[in-house]
Amino acid sequence: MAQVIHIHPVTRIEGHASIAIHLDDVGRVSDARVEIAALRGFEQFVIGRPAEEIPRIVSRICGICPWMHHLAAVKAIDGCFGVTPTPAGHRLRELCQVLAHIHDKILHFFFLAAPDFVLGPDSDYSVRNIMGMVRKDPELAARVVRMRQLGQMMLERFAGKAIHPVAGVVGGFAKPMSNEERQELQRDAALLLDFASFALDYAKDKVFGRFQEEMQSLGAITTGFLGAVDAQGNLQLYDGLLRLMHPNGKSVDFPASDYELHLSEHVEPWSTAKMVYAKSWREGFSLDPAAPKGIYRVNTLARLNVCDRIATPRAQAELEAFREQFGRPAQGTLLYHWARLIELVYACERTLELLADDAITDSAIRNPATPQAGRGIGHVEAPRGTLIHDYTTDDNGCITKANLIVGTTHNIAPMNLSVHQAASSLICDGEFDEEMLNRIEMAVRAYDP
Amino acid sequence: MNREQKIIAFCCNWCSYAAADLAGISRLQYPASIRIIRVMCSGMVHPEMVMHALAQGAAGVMIIGCHLGECHYIKGNEMALARAEVITDTLEDLGYASEQFQLTWVSSAEPERLVEAFRNMCGRLAVLQSEQSADHIM
Amino acid sequence: MKPKLNFEWLHACSGCEISMLNWGEQLLDLFDQVEIVHFPLLMDHKYGGQLGEGAPLSLPEADIGLVSGGVAHQEHLQVLQEMRKQCRTLIALGTCATHGGIPAMRNQWSTADTLHTVFTAGTVDKEISPSSAPAFLDRVYSIDEKVRVDVSLPGCPPQPQLIGAVIKALVNKDAFQLPQKSVCETCPTIREGKKKMAPVQRFLHNADYDRDQPVSEMQCLLEQGLVCMGPVTAGGCGGKDTPLCLQARVPCRGCYGPVQPGGNQLLDMMNALASNGIDHRALVDRKSLLRFSGAHGLLKPARKKN
Ligand code: SF4
Ligand code: SF4
Ligand code: SF4
Ligand code: FES
Repeated sequence: MAQVIHIHPVTRIEGHASIAIHLDDVGRVSDARVEIAALRGFEQFVIGRPAEEIPRIVSRICGICPWMHHLAAVKAIDGCFGVTPTPAGHRLRELCQVLAHIHDKILHFFFLAAPDFVLGPDSDYSVRNIMGMVRKDPELAARVVRMRQLGQMMLERFAGKAIHPVAGVVGGFAKPMSNEERQELQRDAALLLDFASFALDYAKDKVFGRFQEEMQSLGAITTGFLGAVDAQGNLQLYDGLLRLMHPNGKSVDFPASDYELHLSEHVEPWSTAKMVYAKSWREGFSLDPAAPKGIYRVNTLARLNVCDRIATPRAQAELEAFREQFGRPAQGTLLYHWARLIELVYACERTLELLADDAITDSAIRNPATPQAGRGIGHVEAPRGTLIHDYTTDDNGCITKANLIVGTTHNIAPMNLSVHQAASSLICDGEFDEEMLNRIEMAVRAYDP
Repeated sequence: MNREQKIIAFCCNWCSYAAADLAGISRLQYPASIRIIRVMCSGMVHPEMVMHALAQGAAGVMIIGCHLGECHYIKGNEMALARAEVITDTLEDLGYASEQFQLTWVSSAEPERLVEAFRNMCGRLAVLQSEQSADHIM
Repeated sequence: MKPKLNFEWLHACSGCEISMLNWGEQLLDLFDQVEIVHFPLLMDHKYGGQLGEGAPLSLPEADIGLVSGGVAHQEHLQVLQEMRKQCRTLIALGTCATHGGIPAMRNQWSTADTLHTVFTAGTVDKEISPSSAPAFLDRVYSIDEKVRVDVSLPGCPPQPQLIGAVIKALVNKDAFQLPQKSVCETCPTIREGKKKMAPVQRFLHNADYDRDQPVSEMQCLLEQGLVCMGPVTAGGCGGKDTPLCLQARVPCRGCYGPVQPGGNQLLDMMNALASNGIDHRALVDRKSLLRFSGAHGLLKPARKKN
């Protein structure tokens, strides 16, 4: 008998989503959908607001990566008002951005994803969580909690607010960094780098090693990838060119301001989330699992696939080992977790690199701006992927039009395909249990939606 | 105009409330929708009170004080005048019509002027209401 | 038996939950003292039973329930009502829950207008609106507009120590006191009095301050002419320290909502400017003064002018 299985809500992810799996008369998966209820109307209510206020409003799109929205907006408003940030302003923004990646990656890996691996996908739901992790290994849990908090507190101590930040301003930054602050941050960042290396070793030992088969097969699909690189092809999080890689491995680089030439958004009647696809491949958009069209992925695995190398030594060594094992592009969906931890190492190294430069304490942190009519497109790489804010202003410097492409929206279409793949390979003859449903959710969790 | 509609009129003790008293004694007729609230001085009506009345469903709010220069507390009505500007602007921001608020000066010897002000307010609100219901039909 | 806790997030951004996690190691004590029975961010309890055969929305009973986010569609409302039914004490966590928060800015437009703008913005390949999405309400509501709330904890997000202190007090059945002062009352900047007020300017240049001196040596930002909503905003964001935005030398934008729970930040700010002789008409966007507190019917679509 045909039926629908609901996973409602998808849990241990950083937002709201549900899954509906449709079974046909003989109990085979006929359709599977991930629905992300994300509609809050930011594109509407930023209209009429003075543009310089936008970075403090759009941060509320997400409380886990508010810095990403804050800074993408700041960069876009720089563009609207035709102002360039001072070098120190630019550095301070990047510092905050990479720092903000750190707590997110720790949260995602240890609080949200690890219980599936450490406690097992088949463990009871009431223990398969961070509370269960605390019981199993209190020392590790305490360290994880402390390190995640440290990343957040570094931001709060220096920039005032860590969640829903305020220190990025059109033209630069609101407050300079003192030498004491710099030394303190350097001390703390060194602790985080140690922890990041430990986390990666721990994961290789306890997770990736034990789940080798799943890493490659669960929710596996073949897609293109999108991420940011600098002119030399190094991994970038705060700035750089976008690189769109076709599933066949060929790629094009373009500035974020050209996004409309390469990407387009698609609306399905069953979802309030818009899906983005690669328009420049000229194959259109299709979610047909047998012949998907226009589908690429973003976020950690995508960034590691598109970059040629990473400019910091430890992360580069890890990338080389990763590529050796999985090739380029690596397609396994659970490999997102592995890539996430390599990025964690990079974020810590990059933090230290930025802090090592005396220029970061310079007093010239902001260039004054004048409101004017214009258009600005700001891009950063958020934990969940490529984030683009696009604003147009009137003569008074108030917003007339906005388009926001957030990380998750790129991954919605591939997430649907991964869930379809996972569901079809796990459920046959209409038989399913809690463990199977959790394994299907694991495919979503990898994307960190 | 709708029978259920209420207009809140804050009248200061010394001039406008006295005028209202006199209007009663003189048997002057004024619309039944007016609800008078006596305050010591027009200067003590905080904008919050006006908004509260509207939020609770009043159709309009009036503040009625002594003529400028005649306030019992010297500058109370000047304060009311400064606030009236804020109130009028804010009404539009909050989705009301600026016509829903009126500040007026009346001395204790001018009951006709008070009644006239009441009638004007009712008239304005009636026009506003017919415009709004026309909007609905369209 | 340990007290049970339910967590839910409605029209929210997850910042309130992250703020709670920023409590650090004390969080581990909390995990020890209570039993969390429903918390979508951290654990796998599902609404309709673990096997998802489509049972009706149901939540476990709990002693304490925390809800972040406002109410924007039918499903939020159902979850909220179920939370109210199952939780002995219900906490509204964060300004979205207590006053609508940033998402209630959309109350200046009808739901239909918002849907139209969102689904036609940018590079959308065809103009359709989704049909099977949960039914949107006419506007964004704070949760106290829909159910009875026992404790209101505003803040966008609320300070971790405050969330922790309130939960602890409820667990131990102790009394607790929420901060009742305004942001200004907890702000150490120098105030020189009315004569010093500069006309209002937009925040297009940084405040004037000496980088080597603490915030207590900086002149009040409002007196410098930068609109700062400290006077009309509930304090507490910096704990015992300087308000958070001021630590970054940036003016307050009101994220803890009005000082009095029923207050109106727009009206209060206009009144504060007017009574200090500052031309309130120089403000470019007055409605933004309600950017955190647009629920309770305060922000509405503009009237159609003939
Ligand atoms: S109050 Fe602020 S932090 Fe909390 S959910 Fe709302 S927007 Fe997010
Ligand atoms: S107005 Fe702003 S800067 Fe001035 S005292 Fe209040 S919070 Fe501080
Ligand atoms: S200073 Fe104002 S806007 Fe900033 S965190 Fe505190 S209450 Fe919120
Ligand atoms: S006493 Fe009448 S206005 Fe002040």
